[in-house]
Amino acid sequence: MSHWIELNIGPVHPATHGIYRFRVKLNEETVEDVDITIGYLHRNAEKICELNYFVNNTIYFDRMDYIDAMNMELGYLRAVETLMDMEVPERAQWIRMIMAELSRIAARMVGIGALGLDVGMLTPFFHTFHEREKIQNIFVEASGGRQEVNYMSIGGVYQDFNDTIINEIKEFIAGFKGKLEEIVKMFTDSEIFWQRNVGTGVLEPDIALDYGVTGPMLRASGIPYDVRKDSPYLYYDKVNFDVPIAKSKDNMGRFLVKVEELRQSVRIIEQCLAKLPEGPYFNPKAKKSAMLLLKGQGDVFTRVESESGEFGVFIRGDGNVKPYRVHARSPSFKNLAVVPIMAKGSLIADLIITIASVDAVAGEVDR
Amino acid sequence: MKTGDMGVKTTTLEKALEWGRSNSLWPLTMGLACCAIEMMATQAADVDVARFGSEIFRNSPRQSDLMIVAGTTTKRMAPRVKRIYEEMPYPKYVIAMGVCVIQGGPYVDGYSVVLGVDRVIPVDVYVPGCPPSPQALTYGLITLQKKIRNETDR
Amino acid sequence: MYKILSEETDKSGMKVLNIDKSDLVELMEDYKNRRYYLSSITGVDMKDHIDVIYHIHNFDKNDYLCVKVSTSDEKVPSITKLWKAAIVDEREQYDLMGIVFEGHENLRRILLPDEWVGHPLRKDYDLNKVQYISMDRDGNEHVSFDDKEGW
Repeated sequence: MSHWIELNIGPVHPATHGIYRFRVKLNEETVEDVDITIGYLHRNAEKICELNYFVNNTIYFDRMDYIDAMNMELGYLRAVETLMDMEVPERAQWIRMIMAELSRIAARMVGIGALGLDVGMLTPFFHTFHEREKIQNIFVEASGGRQEVNYMSIGGVYQDFNDTIINEIKEFIAGFKGKLEEIVKMFTDSEIFWQRNVGTGVLEPDIALDYGVTGPMLRASGIPYDVRKDSPYLYYDKVNFDVPIAKSKDNMGRFLVKVEELRQSVRIIEQCLAKLPEGPYFNPKAKKSAMLLLKGQGDVFTRVESESGEFGVFIRGDGNVKPYRVHARSPSFKNLAVVPIMAKGSLIADLIITIASVDAVAGEVDR
Repeated sequence: MKTGDMGVKTTTLEKALEWGRSNSLWPLTMGLACCAIEMMATQAADVDVARFGSEIFRNSPRQSDLMIVAGTTTKRMAPRVKRIYEEMPYPKYVIAMGVCVIQGGPYVDGYSVVLGVDRVIPVDVYVPGCPPSPQALTYGLITLQKKIRNETDR
Repeated sequence: MYKILSEETDKSGMKVLNIDKSDLVELMEDYKNRRYYLSSITGVDMKDHIDVIYHIHNFDKNDYLCVKVSTSDEKVPSITKLWKAAIVDEREQYDLMGIVFEGHENLRRILLPDEWVGHPLRKDYDLNKVQYISMDRDGNEHVSFDDKEGW
């Protein structure tokens, strides 16, 4: 005999990490089916981008994956600069790389902290947010913004690195290495954390590829695909880093992949700081007075590796100062669609961990 | 509030109630978008909002008396925000956090964003910023506490 | 056998195949057998016709490919039978651009409520016509143009 329950989670619920609605069909405590409703944060960024000048649109990309703003604007600017054949000076590219990796660390700190909250561990949340706060102080020093930074701009960055910022980053990296191991130890020492993560939310590689899943989720399923490695942008081909994979395909694998990526990010930042050359930080062709007159024509599709996966931006320009069409291939949108497959047959409590390990950000899902 | 000769403070019952109410605000986590992360940062160790008596972020509207609307309210979300507001017990207060909630912010040109959550529910304190820093939100909270303490004087 | 109308390279150095929409499923099936996976679907409103742009990707060779079809009657064959990733992508493009993917089993709106009038990313969508959403007791959403009906 079976008891059917339809359970509604969301749109406002602490476990959904953003505003989605999960309608879960339960057989006693086993999940039979999950129906996801999205669109509660649809802010029509793509439409507004068509109404604005090229240079103004970075702020809307900041607010897509709002915890990883640097990589989002990098994704947009890569597309715009390819469209306009705009060269970026060497120093600016290294600065962008440092900032992108710092932003990745900051985003992971939110993701890991929230995962801890869902398992019932409150302590790691305070530690991860303390580290995130340090990164945000670096962002404030460089750009003036804490979270939605708007630091990069067409042809370079808004402001050059001075000695204060470089020292702050060095100080942060030196402290973060030990702190990260401390935070990870909080998780891995906990028996409850292992029991709730090992073997839950299994995602087979075939299904992941079929659904267009990218990022840590794909790597945790055993496919070593990383845009930074496979089609390097900026100077990712000039630094050494590894792409971690996990063979367990479950939530624990995803957690460990994310943690190992943090260590690799630290490695990348250290190499960038050592290689940071002197020189201009801005292409004079895109100087501030002429910015609104920059034009673009043609189609372009470029991608970067954001914290949740492969973030692609499609732009069509019609030779005007405004883009004709902007479309973002957002990784969270695809990653979230695979949750019903991962949750099917598991307990309702495991569904919560699975949702947390996907790390979907509502702003990027709905745009 | 007056201090008498023997060091005993005398006050009216309303004043005492207001004082107690203002220092034990239990916020509801109404994190809708970007500002939610800054709201979490306000709750975290660096900008410890517990210093002002509102550390317990409740997830149920029935246990809270302050709603911090953090993040863009879309047209699709507005009826739900209103319903959750109606589920909160009296007395209840609302802080509008971020320019999107105040008047639409950068999405003012679009088609799916409510131009100000005050069209849906009454708002007590507006905290501008995109997103406001945790310090700004704490200031907004202190402003709300001052407002609550002066409620019967008005 | 499918016919490639023309082949070009776009600004980012990606190979672009222009094909007729009747050949789409056949071509995609061929590329699927060569281990290509769907990355994204984009619709562009060109006023007299709609361009639908597919980006597909091979993980082994790390090869990105762009396939373009154009349609004047808003209809394109669906490729959900080949890749599951197309389910959400096609629903999104139907919602915002109004492209009807023929053969899609569950072609509903995904980001906006079902009753929403018009497709916002069309160039002729009127932004001045404000629509309001209200919700009844059961959580069903209703759309109206009257501001008294909203929320």
